[in-house]
Amino acid sequence: MASNPLQDGLRLEPTPGPTALVIFGATGDLTRRKLLPALYHLSRVQRLPARFSIVGVARDPMGEEGFRTLFRESLRDFAGAQEGDPVARSLAQRMHYVGGDFSDPSLFQRVGTTLREINSDGGALFYLAIPPSAYANVIEQLGSAGLSRGESAERWRRVIVEKPFGTDLDSARELNQIVHRHFDEEQVYRIDHYLGKETVQNLMVFRFANGMFEPIWNRRYIDHVQITAAETVGVEARAPYYEGAGALRDMVQNHLMQLLSLVAMEPPIAFTAESVRDRKLDALLSVQPLVDETSDTAHVMRAQYAAGWVGGGEVPAYRAEPRVNPESTTETFVALRMQLDSWRWAGVPFYVRTGKRMPKRTTEIAIQLRRPPLEIFKRVSPTSVAPNLLIINVQPDEGISVRFEAKLPGTRMQLAPVMMNFRYGTAFGGVVPEAYETLLLDAMLGDPTLFARHDFVEASWALITPVHEHWRREQAKTIPTYEAGEWGPAEADAMIARDGRRWRTL
Amino acid sequence: MSEQSGERLLHAGAEVSFADIESALRRSSNDESKHVSGMALTATVVVAGPPPRLAEAAQALSELIDAGLRAVLISYGDNPSPRVHVSRQTVSLEGLRPEYLNNAVAALRLSSLPTAVWWRGGQVEALTGLAALSDRLVLDAEDPREVWSLVDNLAERTAVSDLRWTRLTRWRALMAQFFDIADIRAAAAAFRVLRIEGSDRHAARLYAGWLASTLHWDKSVVPDLREIPGAPPIEAIALGDGSQELTLRLADNHTCVETAARINGRAPTSRIVSMGNQGLAALVGEELRIRARDLAFERAVAAAKEFK
Repeated sequence: MASNPLQDGLRLEPTPGPTALVIFGATGDLTRRKLLPALYHLSRVQRLPARFSIVGVARDPMGEEGFRTLFRESLRDFAGAQEGDPVARSLAQRMHYVGGDFSDPSLFQRVGTTLREINSDGGALFYLAIPPSAYANVIEQLGSAGLSRGESAERWRRVIVEKPFGTDLDSARELNQIVHRHFDEEQVYRIDHYLGKETVQNLMVFRFANGMFEPIWNRRYIDHVQITAAETVGVEARAPYYEGAGALRDMVQNHLMQLLSLVAMEPPIAFTAESVRDRKLDALLSVQPLVDETSDTAHVMRAQYAAGWVGGGEVPAYRAEPRVNPESTTETFVALRMQLDSWRWAGVPFYVRTGKRMPKRTTEIAIQLRRPPLEIFKRVSPTSVAPNLLIINVQPDEGISVRFEAKLPGTRMQLAPVMMNFRYGTAFGGVVPEAYETLLLDAMLGDPTLFARHDFVEASWALITPVHEHWRREQAKTIPTYEAGEWGPAEADAMIARDGRRWRTL
Repeated sequence: MSEQSGERLLHAGAEVSFADIESALRRSSNDESKHVSGMALTATVVVAGPPPRLAEAAQALSELIDAGLRAVLISYGDNPSPRVHVSRQTVSLEGLRPEYLNNAVAALRLSSLPTAVWWRGGQVEALTGLAALSDRLVLDAEDPREVWSLVDNLAERTAVSDLRWTRLTRWRALMAQFFDIADIRAAAAAFRVLRIEGSDRHAARLYAGWLASTLHWDKSVVPDLREIPGAPPIEAIALGDGSQELTLRLADNHTCVETAARINGRAPTSRIVSMGNQGLAALVGEELRIRARDLAFERAVAAAKEFK
């Protein structure tokens, strides 16, 4: 039997072959909050292979028992697992730990030895849950230790790299070169957890599996698109990273560029990884530069939160946060006006905004359609006709809503907008998997559709880097502010108002 | 979920005549909409069966009603004008004469929603008509032998499944996961000894039918189906050749399965995995998420007929 005949017609989706997941940064926040709970949930729903192991790698000399204790604590705190859960206990028995310094080549030799002992005939997935500054070294070390090349189709080797992938175009290119010295592109999985969300995946289904939306998905019917990613949290414990990153690097370069490309892409010829990623890249390449070179003006505005009131409590200004430079000009809010040079989107602006300390946590894509060519109800209805709106809720309440006009019941001809809502949480029953569950499984199965390709990452940085260079040239000592708990600064409202439009109030 | 939820689904709401169902539903919907926000409906589920089995089904459906289901519950009796109760998303008919089952379903299904029929037993003559009215027919008879003989015919009209098959989903997946491993797959190709223990002989037959049809066993393989009264429907499954064996065994708490592979020349491997929710509501929920024809089930049923 070359392949598994019992997979035919199974209702549970296929499971990967024998796999060892090697987590670099095994004691870190990402591992404890996301990766270990995701693996536990995958185990509960029988999605992990029959022969599966986890190898934790970190500096801490905690040993195998220490790693298992960390696993139990992680499940208690972030997965709601009960003490003594037999599934967790069984998974813990397949956990191993290799401690040491990432700059020490012998650490990687020991990782190799462990892999041979526990998983001589299966694949190995290396997860870089480590600070971005350590990526290049770990990749080089994996290559030098001979761990980056699989010996057969079943002994595959893959690597998952967390965002941010580089800090600008040059560093992203350099990192891609280092990665490609040791791994082929098809072995590399650049993760963006937004792409693991059901609604984001559903966006392609919504567009390309329905006959009624794609015909109007163009400049003829769509007035503009607004993409919003709002967070209520401030910088929290991430100040050292965030000070050097800011909202443009932290959110726009990855998450929001992915959303934009999914909205704007042409239909792929098939639902295959390369076809989908080719079309997404095309969409991104069609975005006009965000900085006008002749006038040196940017279609981007930035701001920083001042003290205010969020979620029922007073919160400090960004500059007053721990470990933040009191004179920092790092942006915590950014708004962009993007124009796509394509037949489909010519003249349709994409407005993108993201910020910290906003009134509520929400991510959505709002597609506003053009008004009807003739407002025949203008004379009889006292209310004006609101344009149709298609809203794709990415988080927290994943779903799709359509706004259209209806007649208010009564003897008068009075119009009012109504919403039709589809919600993932209720529509199909069952539990919606967490993004990390979907993406970990895809990487183990060798499906890169939901991961960023090297050229997409570079195309995204090619748009973003000139904005940072423009800001550097400005040498601004100040930055516009907005009160925490508000929807950004007046300058952002002015930016969209210049086009005769306004931001949606969410 | 208390028994009261099932009772409420069966008997609560306004009692109306059959002809007034739609207008009563509209009134009910208008009243409710003052208090609750709108919800997208995703399917109509028709449950038909003898009264004792309907109460159990009503309880399960009450757990799914928040997932946007419209429920139609029909219990058999001898009343040509049965009592009808309607509430926001539920219609229940009490004591319908079985020969009118198809007429009732034809009147109560909505063309705009997929219709799944959950058939909990009754006269099999109605099934051909029901299959034509439904997008999915989920069989759930206490003794399935008669209805399984009709599956070929029914499958020409609609997607057919059986709740016993749904209960086997996790057991099947666990066996399949062994076969993902190349050395186990190589050894297991020659396995011809299958032992299944549990209280549900028909579920065991179906599982054996699945393995036989998928692994292309000839008639020389005779599964050892051990019926254990009082045990869970399936308690343990072992597939091997005498010296090597793959085993799946329900743990004492009945929520997990211990899996183990004993293959010559390899260290034994074992693990514990969750069985997931095996309640009626979860099983029906699984069926509602599948819209396609289940060829593996059809082949398994055909093969199961060979096993006593």
